[in-house]
Amino acid sequence: MIFTIFKKELLDTLRDRRTLLMMLVIPILVFPVIMNVFVGISSSYQEEAATKELKIGVIGGEQNYIWNELKDIPEALGKKQLIEFKDTASLLTALRTDSIDLGMSTGAQFAAELKSMKPATIDVYFNGTDVGRRERAEMYLMTIDEKVKDSRFKELGIERETVQPFNINYENIASSKEMIGKLAGGFLPYIFIAFGFIGCMYPAIDLFTGEKERGTIETLLTTPVARWQILTGKMGVVVLSGLTAATFSLLGLFISLEMFNTIGNQEILDIIHGILSPQFIVMIYALLIPLTIFFAGVMIPIAVHAKTFKEAQSIITPMNIVMVLPAMVGFFPGIELNAITACIPVVNVVLATKELIAGTLDIGLLALSFGVMVGLATLAVIISYKRFDNESNVVI
Amino acid sequence: MIYVEGLTKRFELSRKQQKEYNTKEKIATAVDHISFECTPGRVFSLLGPNGAGKTTTMRMLSTIFKPSEGSITIAGIDAVKNPQEARKKIGFLTGSTGLYARLTPNELITYFGKLYGVETSVLNERKEALYNLLDMHEFQNKQIGKLSTGMKQKVSISRTMIHDPEVVVFDEPTSGLDVITAENIIKLIKDCKDKGKTVIFSSHIMSEVDLLCDDMAIIHKGKLLFSGTMESFRNSMQAPNLTAEFIRIVHESQNQAL
Repeated sequence: MIFTIFKKELLDTLRDRRTLLMMLVIPILVFPVIMNVFVGISSSYQEEAATKELKIGVIGGEQNYIWNELKDIPEALGKKQLIEFKDTASLLTALRTDSIDLGMSTGAQFAAELKSMKPATIDVYFNGTDVGRRERAEMYLMTIDEKVKDSRFKELGIERETVQPFNINYENIASSKEMIGKLAGGFLPYIFIAFGFIGCMYPAIDLFTGEKERGTIETLLTTPVARWQILTGKMGVVVLSGLTAATFSLLGLFISLEMFNTIGNQEILDIIHGILSPQFIVMIYALLIPLTIFFAGVMIPIAVHAKTFKEAQSIITPMNIVMVLPAMVGFFPGIELNAITACIPVVNVVLATKELIAGTLDIGLLALSFGVMVGLATLAVIISYKRFDNESNVVI
Repeated sequence: MIYVEGLTKRFELSRKQQKEYNTKEKIATAVDHISFECTPGRVFSLLGPNGAGKTTTMRMLSTIFKPSEGSITIAGIDAVKNPQEARKKIGFLTGSTGLYARLTPNELITYFGKLYGVETSVLNERKEALYNLLDMHEFQNKQIGKLSTGMKQKVSISRTMIHDPEVVVFDEPTSGLDVITAENIIKLIKDCKDKGKTVIFSSHIMSEVDLLCDDMAIIHKGKLLFSGTMESFRNSMQAPNLTAEFIRIVHESQNQAL
């Protein structure tokens, strides 16, 4: 009987355009679209910043030491055009009106300081809102700085090595997989949770409040089917819908990585392929199934109590923030899965998934996280049943 | 057979409802110790003005609501103790019933047939018979949301009768329907009577009651004001016609209460 109800509710849900949109279309499209647009814009921006011919204003023109040094820097480090300015005021005006991209001037004592081997001051003017300008200036000045250092060492008869006391080697013992897991691993459970919640939302409202609003629940309750069976059949569709939305969002992410090559780094792609093993997928679903049941169990009592679709939506939509916000914990590198965080719902799933990706998961903590989620899911199902069994909540 | 004894339903009022009904009472009695009997092959009508307690009574008979007190026996089954068994014997149709708009009539009727545990071969036979009777073949595979009110009414009738119930409960079945569409319901009630089924229907339209029923009860503010055969009602009339007599009885009960 549960399967008969499940099958009918699934058919009904799959014919609802709004649910289909939230369950399949948006999750699968969101990542290819966002990542392509984001990567496209960002790479074209970076490319433009690297190849753009910078107009650099220099006070004093050819008379300035910097002018001549900048002129000698090869074009391979970026095209540039030098423009002479008489004073700082006119240089700043030109910078503010975007006539130039960078401005440089040297202090009054510059030549003397340079000659007496003291640090000579160079002022660099730039607009912080224009990305890449400061970086280009730093690169040019570092080149000039190294050149001057070399000549000073030579003049003083000192070998470069003598003023460089240490050769420091930083050895990162974390594997690339661990690095990706700990730093970017929070992203995966976040999208799973966010789309899992949205995926549950519309069917939960449609199958409970919607049925009440449309006046179909009364007839269903006069059939010789126990209320717990009706609830289970309906809840099954809500949970499946949440899991489908989460899976399709992951599929969308995979498509954007594989088909559109948005990462463009084979090494990282190989690591991602290594992470997405069948074992990993089984374990992540072991965490996600109780989480989605928990989501459904939280939404259903509200949907059962609400009298209209609008009322249910107005309560459940803000809950999205309460439920999905803890998932952002995954973006903070310092927070790890321990006996305390394993007991916090949603947070435990995010952190356990991160550890799973990094391959550093403690099986005891995974079991604790799973147990907490199963416990909460059970509680949510009991509350849902109590609500659904209450005649005043079911019939308007 | 329906046998109702001392049936009572009380609802707890929320603060919002107390304000809405302008009362300080925490409990509202919708149905107050009513008793009646509906026999097979006869049509019983529960007549009452709006808010009399008709729908609450019908919901208790169809086991959607649990009574606060009293007993209901449906086709020999104690519907209070064993509601799931009783439901197998009942066909329930209300005027406010909605249908799953995204399903086709065929899908919907098959679904309800399965919920009532009707075997597939029997289900197919009954569907065919109902489609022929109600001329439904043409639209059986169209989405219900795209059907006319009359077509939807035919789907509702098929859904109610697919498990061949012994007892049929109609709660204001013609409300909101035009006379042509309501005709299908009238035919259905007559057909159920001819087949020896127990039929109970609630209404506030006296002409409908006059046309169909053999036995009747008048309910007002949850209390039964009259219960007996249509013939005995006619014989005891003090007003010139049925509607006037119905109004007279309701007003008399209101005056007595004051």
